[in-house]
Amino acid sequence: MASIGQRALMPAKNLLEEAGDMVILTGKTVVSAIKPPYPYGGEFVSQFLFALKLCWFPLLISTVAFGYGAPGLQAANFLVLFGAIDRLGGFFVLASIREFAPFVTAIVLAGVAGTAITADLGARKIREELDALQVLGVDPIKNLVVPRFLALMLVTGLFDIYALLFGIFGGIVATLVNGAPLGPFWATFFTNASTVDLWGSLLKTTLYGAIIAIVCCYKGMTASGGAEGVGRAVNQAVVIAFLGIFAFNYVFTQTLLATHPEIQVIR
Amino acid sequence: MSAISTKGSGALESAGVLMRFCGRILGEVYSLKVMKYFGEALRQAGILILSSTIVIWSLTFIIGLQCGIEGAYFNRSVGSPAYAGVFAAWCDLRELVPYSFGYMMAAKVGTGIVAELGSMRISDEIDALEVMGVPSLTFLCSTKLLAAWMVLPFVYLSGVGAGFLASYLAVVQQIGEVSSGGYQLIFWMFQNPPDLIYSVIKGMTMATAIVLVGCYYGYNASGGPVGVGTATAKSMVLNIVLVHIIGMLGTQLFWGANPNAPIGG
Repeated sequence: MASIGQRALMPAKNLLEEAGDMVILTGKTVVSAIKPPYPYGGEFVSQFLFALKLCWFPLLISTVAFGYGAPGLQAANFLVLFGAIDRLGGFFVLASIREFAPFVTAIVLAGVAGTAITADLGARKIREELDALQVLGVDPIKNLVVPRFLALMLVTGLFDIYALLFGIFGGIVATLVNGAPLGPFWATFFTNASTVDLWGSLLKTTLYGAIIAIVCCYKGMTASGGAEGVGRAVNQAVVIAFLGIFAFNYVFTQTLLATHPEIQVIR
Repeated sequence: MSAISTKGSGALESAGVLMRFCGRILGEVYSLKVMKYFGEALRQAGILILSSTIVIWSLTFIIGLQCGIEGAYFNRSVGSPAYAGVFAAWCDLRELVPYSFGYMMAAKVGTGIVAELGSMRISDEIDALEVMGVPSLTFLCSTKLLAAWMVLPFVYLSGVGAGFLASYLAVVQQIGEVSSGGYQLIFWMFQNPPDLIYSVIKGMTMATAIVLVGCYYGYNASGGPVGVGTATAKSMVLNIVLVHIIGMLGTQLFWGANPNAPIGG
């Protein structure tokens, strides 16, 4: 009887344990990032450039496609019915800055850079390189996790701006496809845009970067079971990262909207 | 300059190889050769149901909540909170449920296939299959595609349901500026069966592309355990780009010229 109970509760227990381990890793990473010495400069720069090089093109295609399709065409269709296509600019503040630029950035970063990090760390783990580092007295958290954590936070935050620009480009294409002039689009866009939206968007994406880095590093560093283990680690990492990103997105957006009523006013 | 052109022709060449590979898998399914291994397809379908449905539903549920609150706040700001259903209906059914389904398919099923097939390839199990006279491509890849086609429409439809439920919870129960009946009236008025069918087509096209890409990267993995990890990561890049492109083309094709809204003529 007790064994049946144990078996039934096993997945839940494992899940909680993993979540706890990730929180512990986050704490250790933050402490280790602040405490001197700071040996991770070189690795930080190389990880930053690595993520930049890997992600810029998929992100460009994804944001233009998303911006043109979802908020662009659908909202333009709706607004054209009312002869109010100029309002598309105002809608893009909501759609692009608040919603899809951050989450498309996060999806692309998790799917492209995050998986690469997990594959890299997982390969090192199963070749026992991480153990070797520890034997040599090199702290894997300080030298491997901290630079990835900081680099992903920075690069995701910066990519948000890039995604914003290309997402709005998608909106411009949708406006032009509908044969409307661009002046009203920009006019409603800039009257509706607010700094709260912008910093909310940047803060949100930076924290997404932190989630992605912790999940992917954790999964990579705990990979086990040979060849299939690394693949499985990447699989689990990207699933957890996606769910984490969207759950966090919901809580963050809800909090931002509820605490800053001024950004909800359409001008 | 020559480096760029080499890189470009390399990309073209691998795109061609990928297309040919996908064509072969599709051919095996269409010519019904895959029926010889229907049992394996059923087993794959079972694995798909048991391992992937819960996460797909969770993601569509979270996305539904997101559409709900954005819709509620947006419609409040334009002074028509009772019309939050329009935003939720279009956002859920037409755009974000297909996208979130694609994301989760790529993350869970796509990378899972790469990891599984890749480790079979590097431990020479695929060669062993060939030696035993089993056509490995049919047995491993075509059965997965058939399984996906058998199972995923239903997973997708129930995912749409999860999204709808979440939007309802967010708009009516959480924000609470519109009554349940008022929300439902608008919500169902602004969608019809063709919308649902288009949405399913969008989701299934994404799923097919993801399974094919996963099979390609897994079946052709090389370079030891590290290679499997790298192949998994690489498949994710292509999958994400494909999901977004299919989403955009689907919107352009199905709703680009016809908003399908009960307004005006």
